[in-house]
Amino acid sequence: MPVGESRYMEPLQLAGRLIMENGGETYRVEETITRMGRAFGLEKVESFAVPSGLFISYRRQDGDTETSVTRVRKGSRNLSRVDAVNAISRQVESGGLSCEETMRQLQAIENSKPYVTRPLLILAAGVSAVGFTGMFGGSLWDMCISGLVAALVQLMSQQLERFHMHEMAATLLGSLLSTLIPLLLRHYAGIGLVEPIVAGALMPLLPGLAMTNAVQDAMRGDVVSGLSHGISALLTAVLVAGGALVASAILHLMGGAAL
Amino acid sequence: MDFIVTLITSFLGTLGFALLLHAPKKAWLPASIIGGISYTLYIVLLQAGWHQAAAMFAGALAGSVLAQVCARRMRMIATIFITLSIVSLVPGLGLYRCMEFLGAGKNAAGLQAGVSAMIDIMMIALGLAVGNFVFRMFCRPQAVKG
Repeated sequence: MPVGESRYMEPLQLAGRLIMENGGETYRVEETITRMGRAFGLEKVESFAVPSGLFISYRRQDGDTETSVTRVRKGSRNLSRVDAVNAISRQVESGGLSCEETMRQLQAIENSKPYVTRPLLILAAGVSAVGFTGMFGGSLWDMCISGLVAALVQLMSQQLERFHMHEMAATLLGSLLSTLIPLLLRHYAGIGLVEPIVAGALMPLLPGLAMTNAVQDAMRGDVVSGLSHGISALLTAVLVAGGALVASAILHLMGGAAL
Repeated sequence: MDFIVTLITSFLGTLGFALLLHAPKKAWLPASIIGGISYTLYIVLLQAGWHQAAAMFAGALAGSVLAQVCARRMRMIATIFITLSIVSLVPGLGLYRCMEFLGAGKNAAGLQAGVSAMIDIMMIALGLAVGNFVFRMFCRPQAVKG
């Protein structure tokens, strides 16, 4: 455990990493770090964040500059954690938390179990797909099919996570499944409109939100973050398209018409 | 009647997303209502003859302002509400169509769908940015910022 002014670096790093990993914006990461650092009584606190890493520096009383680099891996979004870190940073600002206490509370957030449990997530995926399919003009039948497909995809991606499969695999397979099932149903049972079902069920995988965030980042002046988010959104789009293509190829092999 | 169906379906879609993104429990209901309102406004304006981009802008603007007011009231970070307010507006179907066409070798149709989706995304981002200005103009900043 570092002593003196060096010990302030760890909570700053952890707070920044937690916000970035859980889907907070780049400007929020930088702002939180600077504010917390100033509240700890540090001088010349500077931070620079990009989606894959954080750079923090501040000046110590003896004139040396303390600097750190933190690598950030992409995590799954958890807005509750971002909110919790924000609440802690406010407490620090109002002078209510010591450095050690801040670190302890941030670690508690990092180790906390998400309170939306796995079964609830499956239900949520279903509900969201039902809603979006209806929104895209699907019938009641389409909404039911889409809900079931999305729940299945969520279940599958949870299983993949257990085997430590990459997120990319989950996107590819998710897109494959949620395209193939409606196509097969349409082909063999003659039920369901394919497009609203697929778009509704795919909504959590589609990179629309990520692209919007990328544009917002760029508009705020965080151009590097914007580019980086944009590229990863583009990659997701390619994966989703790949899955959908494989599904239509499978249908073609089975004698049906392609998309 | 149609608008009520739109409101309910976009509410449900947003609600599901609130859970998928692990939003705090207290935010689930208000955020989903805002999501429903912004998409329904978009549809209403579209049927009133507005251009798609303008309607998208207005929907995002309304969502952004409502989201920030709500975040201030509930003392939570605005990110939660802003993200969820635009989930229903984001052109999921447009992006899907774009990829579907490109994958099938229909490049012209794919590009058309893609450009239209990109315009929607730009308009949403613009609507959010303007909503931010509007909110700051009319609501004085507090000591505790969201």
